Amino acid sequence: MNTAARAPGLVLIAAGVACGVEAMTFNVAFLTDPVGPKALPLLVSAILIGAGIHATARPASDGTWIGSSAFPRVGSAVAAFLLYAVALPWVGFFLSTTAVVSTLSRLFGATLRQAVPAAAALSGVLWLIFVLGLGLPLPIGDLWIR
Amino acid sequence: VDSLRHLIDGFGVALQPLNVALALGGVLVGTFVGMLPGIGPINAIAILIPVTFATGMEPESALILLVGIYYGSQYGNSISTILLNVPGTASAVVTALDGHTMTKQGRGGPALAMSAIASFVGGTFSIFALVLFAPVLAGWAIRFGPAEYFALMVFAFSALSSFAGGSLVRGLAATAFGLWLATIGLDPNSAVPRYTFGQIQLLDGMDFVVVTIGLFAVSEVFHLLEDTGKGTEVASSYGRVMISAKELATTGWTMVRSSVMGFLVGVLPGAGGTIASFLAYSTEERIAGPDGRFGDGDIRGVAAPEAANNAAANGAMIPLLTLGVPGSGTTAVLLGALLGLGITPGPLLIQEEPDLFWGLAASMYLGNIFLLLLNLPLVGFFIRALTLPRWFLIPGVAALAFVAVYAVNGSSFDLALMTGFGLVGYLMRKLDFPLAPVVLGLVLGPLMEKHLRRAMALSGGDAGVLFDSPIAITLWGLALVSLAAPMALRRWTKDVVEDVQSSVPDGVPDDL
Repeated sequence: MNTAARAPGLVLIAAGVACGVEAMTFNVAFLTDPVGPKALPLLVSAILIGAGIHATARPASDGTWIGSSAFPRVGSAVAAFLLYAVALPWVGFFLSTTAVVSTLSRLFGATLRQAVPAAAALSGVLWLIFVLGLGLPLPIGDLWIR
Repeated sequence: VDSLRHLIDGFGVALQPLNVALALGGVLVGTFVGMLPGIGPINAIAILIPVTFATGMEPESALILLVGIYYGSQYGNSISTILLNVPGTASAVVTALDGHTMTKQGRGGPALAMSAIASFVGGTFSIFALVLFAPVLAGWAIRFGPAEYFALMVFAFSALSSFAGGSLVRGLAATAFGLWLATIGLDPNSAVPRYTFGQIQLLDGMDFVVVTIGLFAVSEVFHLLEDTGKGTEVASSYGRVMISAKELATTGWTMVRSSVMGFLVGVLPGAGGTIASFLAYSTEERIAGPDGRFGDGDIRGVAAPEAANNAAANGAMIPLLTLGVPGSGTTAVLLGALLGLGITPGPLLIQEEPDLFWGLAASMYLGNIFLLLLNLPLVGFFIRALTLPRWFLIPGVAALAFVAVYAVNGSSFDLALMTGFGLVGYLMRKLDFPLAPVVLGLVLGPLMEKHLRRAMALSGGDAGVLFDSPIAITLWGLALVSLAAPMALRRWTKDVVEDVQSSVPDGVPDDL
């Protein structure tokens, strides 16, 4: 049994311990109720540690899924989404959404010629529906307001 | 008789033009997302919740829309199952056995018609049962104190943990993860910040919309990136969507039995449409005995699961509305929506919010009629949606998810959080952890903690109060039984599970 297969169990144990250690700091000056803010977090910690020990002893997957050929694509998508979160308030909804949607379309195998016009049209339609139709404010972009 | 009068008042609410439009829109969206593999009703509901909040809809109107998506998806899920052998949701997996076989035999049209009719029978039967039993259960649940609620919620958690995935331990770990997310933020009782690490954004706690969209929709996008080769699906020809009176007659009792069974399974926490459809199919297969051609294009094999999964979806509304305790991921999201709209479901809901309860019930009748009328002639239109290229469809869904998450707080921090949950959800899928218990833990966790603390405060710290009443003891017993139930269930449905695993390409998905 390799380390990769045991990793999920070890992560669960570590999370359970961290969760429990942090829970010990939840002290109240005077006790408002007999249970207090610690009880549920400590229960969570116990379940996580128990499940972690079980998963370490008897791993469900053999860990071979690590290194799947999809990882570069998934990684690019994660990066694009995070970049989108940063860019949205700056460059505004239309440009950032067009960029992230066309990136995702490219990852799903569209050509640049297909992806960009479709993404721009989609962003425009969403803007019309949500801002003009439903009155939900979406960011215009601080960069253009100044 | 009293119920009938209330129901007529309910139609007064449901027939308001806006509510008719919302019911129609809800069931159309539901049919659509139920049909498309990968985009389940839970995503569509989570995406539309911020919209209903932001537009200031009346609670009953919002619920008519969101619940319409929920039961509408149980109609749509069979379309792609029958025509493409690609189940739209887990609860339609069993329909593939006979439904897709019928398509291969050139009888796709009758299979589609059967599925729509069985869905209608299961749906309307279970609304009838809902209207009949919900007030009874509510009258009974009025006696529930905090200890009984605590035990009931433990039952809901243990049932979903044990039914949601293959492994009870992984289900429990997912529940614990959800409960942990629920504790993040200011503790409402003592005002102690928990797991906020000094971040102001975390003081309010985790928003269930952000978590749900991240865990389900975003992780699905990542998951689909593994298989970008699959593009447009080509549907086989299916002929006319019609069924002969003779065929319909042979399935009458099948639909009745499956509706009853589906409804009962739906009321129980943890079990849902998926389990109901497996149970109904194996039961009908046994009843048919050697006369049946189950697995070889027997039309009863379409009628049974489709009646059962629709009845189960509506049955699940009973514990949600009368107890305030959902038993699945999707109904947990609906509970979150209700709480956000300022409605606390529970035994008093029917009396205090008659417009909401009876209006919803009436609109469910209406929605089922819409679904039956639309499904038969519009199948061709829905199928065209299945042929949309994936590079267009999935990024489009992602963009909708972004807008919805941003609309929750108007904060792009939530978008980063959503991406994080997307990655966690992706890893959980890879490692075979169920996702639904996380959402249930997050939505139900604060209520469970509140009831536990109230019960203990009333008893002065004596834990014995939790096991003091017959109702509480029964619920604890049920919680224990639910941990062993999947084993019994697996034995009863063993043949069907094996058939599904060998004939449906993606096997049995475990999202409930």
